[in-house]
Amino acid sequence: MISTQKYSGPDIKAIIDEKGLDSNAWYWRKELSKVRGSDVKRTLSRNPGSYSLQKLLSFVSPAAEDYLEEMAQLAHQLTIQRFGRTIRLYAPLYLSNFCINSCLYCGFNKDSYSERKRLTIKQALAEADIIASEGFRDMLLVSSEDREFITIEYLAELAGKLRDKFSFISIEVYPMNSSEYTKLFEAGIEGVTLYQETYNRQAYQYYHPAGPKANYENRLAAPDRIAQAGMREIGLGVLLGLTDWRTETLALAEHAHYLMKRYWRSHISFSFPRLRPAYKVNDLQFEHLLSDKNLVQMILALRLCFTDAGLVLSTRERAELRDHLIKLGITKISAGSKTSPGGYSGQTSAVEQFEIDDRRSPAQITTMIREQGFEPVWKDWDSAVDAPTH
Amino acid sequence: MEVLRINGVEKQFPEGQLPSTVAKLLEQLGVKPATVVAEIDGQIIEREKFAQTLLRKGQSIELIRFVGGG
Amino acid sequence: MDKLVIANREFHSRLLVGTGKFASSEIMAKALKVSGTEIVTVALRRVNIENEKDDMLVAIDRSKYLLLPNTSGARDADEAIRLARIARVATGIKWVKLEVTPDPYYLLPDPVETLKAAEILVKEDFVVLPYINADPILSKKLEDVGTATVMPLASPIGSNQGLKTRAALEIIIEQSNVPVIVDAGLGLPSHAADAMEMGADAVLVNTAIATADDPCQMAEAFKLAVEAGRLAYISGPAAVNRRASASSPLTGFLRDE
Repeated sequence: MISTQKYSGPDIKAIIDEKGLDSNAWYWRKELSKVRGSDVKRTLSRNPGSYSLQKLLSFVSPAAEDYLEEMAQLAHQLTIQRFGRTIRLYAPLYLSNFCINSCLYCGFNKDSYSERKRLTIKQALAEADIIASEGFRDMLLVSSEDREFITIEYLAELAGKLRDKFSFISIEVYPMNSSEYTKLFEAGIEGVTLYQETYNRQAYQYYHPAGPKANYENRLAAPDRIAQAGMREIGLGVLLGLTDWRTETLALAEHAHYLMKRYWRSHISFSFPRLRPAYKVNDLQFEHLLSDKNLVQMILALRLCFTDAGLVLSTRERAELRDHLIKLGITKISAGSKTSPGGYSGQTSAVEQFEIDDRRSPAQITTMIREQGFEPVWKDWDSAVDAPTH
Repeated sequence: MEVLRINGVEKQFPEGQLPSTVAKLLEQLGVKPATVVAEIDGQIIEREKFAQTLLRKGQSIELIRFVGGG
Repeated sequence: MDKLVIANREFHSRLLVGTGKFASSEIMAKALKVSGTEIVTVALRRVNIENEKDDMLVAIDRSKYLLLPNTSGARDADEAIRLARIARVATGIKWVKLEVTPDPYYLLPDPVETLKAAEILVKEDFVVLPYINADPILSKKLEDVGTATVMPLASPIGSNQGLKTRAALEIIIEQSNVPVIVDAGLGLPSHAADAMEMGADAVLVNTAIATADDPCQMAEAFKLAVEAGRLAYISGPAAVNRRASASSPLTGFLRDE
């Protein structure tokens, strides 16, 4: 536990409240529209890789759409300089799709009639074996909010058993308190991914009407607890398409910047979950869906402001797009993912969280990566290196 | 002979002539009390207490003052 | 221009000045005045009983300057802590510039002893300004234990070599949540301006002013340099031009949208 730290600055809630990033969408839309091409050009020449809200504003503005090629060239250079010509690979393992929340956009929400499945530890290990046989050493354990079954003890036990097969284990589950994160860290989990989904309070309330996930502030404060527990990797993101992506990117960046300054021992990554068709929520009207161009702009903007952040892309996106994005700053991708519990063993027709659009196998993905002049990296850090020697 | 160690150097005083207080010692040495800090056997003595702080033979005294520095 | 804030106290000047190596107290006092400084460092030494010089403290008007005692001469944490406590008793000031320099040749600071002493002094309610080598990790650790600033060196004390530790200073400035005061080795006003343009919150200068032929004029030069550097920094300068080497188009695929 990093408990001895003295910090007297504002926390993330105060920061986005003060800047109106959680509520004043109208103000930020105005600011974005004021950006001119000349502003973007000037910003492109300033301290590439370092963050300021002003810089990011330029890069995510409508005006910057005419400068995507320049942004891309710079982002490509920065990424190669910092990360080398490498792409890290990971696999998600879905443990359960039982859920007590009612998120309007999600195929797992408790009111949708879909086949539910939970994996026992034994079943999860069987799935993990398949994943490992494909070459993966980096695993993301995913679950909907199924606190009854996917408990801290379950996750700790599973992590303990996976430790010798996987060099890096992270989780993407419901927000936890500090002692729970600490327990999981001690069990061998070193990263946590948690998307705020939307930083806009009104939208958040609308899309998360019930269940523990309805608590905006608890979720917002969770990355602090994740960092305080000692987790090495923190994954942030918003669900792209819920509200205006440009303003969300500003809030997301403020969150990342705050965490980077306060918790300097943890590494921050961004993910880009873009709203995709999901089971039984197809007819919900989403007015802010992102085009490919928008997605590219967001990725480039973040890379140009955060030299060291990881940029993670899942198999939600279709194959050709992913192939192009590899060169634009992405540092980590999944391959051959199955987003329903038991999906790897093929023994389930349980509903998927989202439709996958890149169904290539890990072998095919690695070929693609190599063709682009990159090397696939399966294992980046081995926790065995600093495991206690008893 | 009675001895006081002052700033690392032993200073001898004829029997019975040891300065009785810090203030008296400073007076004897010609050092202005307003400009120094005194430490006796590692204990810092506040200026207001100079006149009351008694000295005994064998003590180690540090007299420190401010000088220019970066 | 924007104010410097250290431990909830505001300062107009971002130039701190040291009082060592001046030819006389009068020259020192004049130079301090011309420099516009508000924070002045002093050291502690044993009184020379055989030959006591005038106390230089009287030459420093404490109503104008914040006196910042340093623990120079300390070779480990215990000695530094002792000096800090002595200074506090003597002046009533709880600010201390923590210097732990066991190496008598380059006067480089000991990172381990500095961190140790900082933690203890912060607990004793001192406002600690630690002098360190330009080590970004050490900076964060000191910030974690509660020091009011960090003071990374530009080059060894008195060497006048300027920003030899530039790359590390940039990282410290980027990552720090407390004011960064570049200290030691600033030999010319341009060095000071450079440090301020990089984003340093303040600089500390001693040797370059005290040993100049005309310390008062040099003090004024440093004052102007620090102001210019800060003004430049907050004006948002365009960066040095980086030519991206042309490669094949990366976003052509979007044209088809």
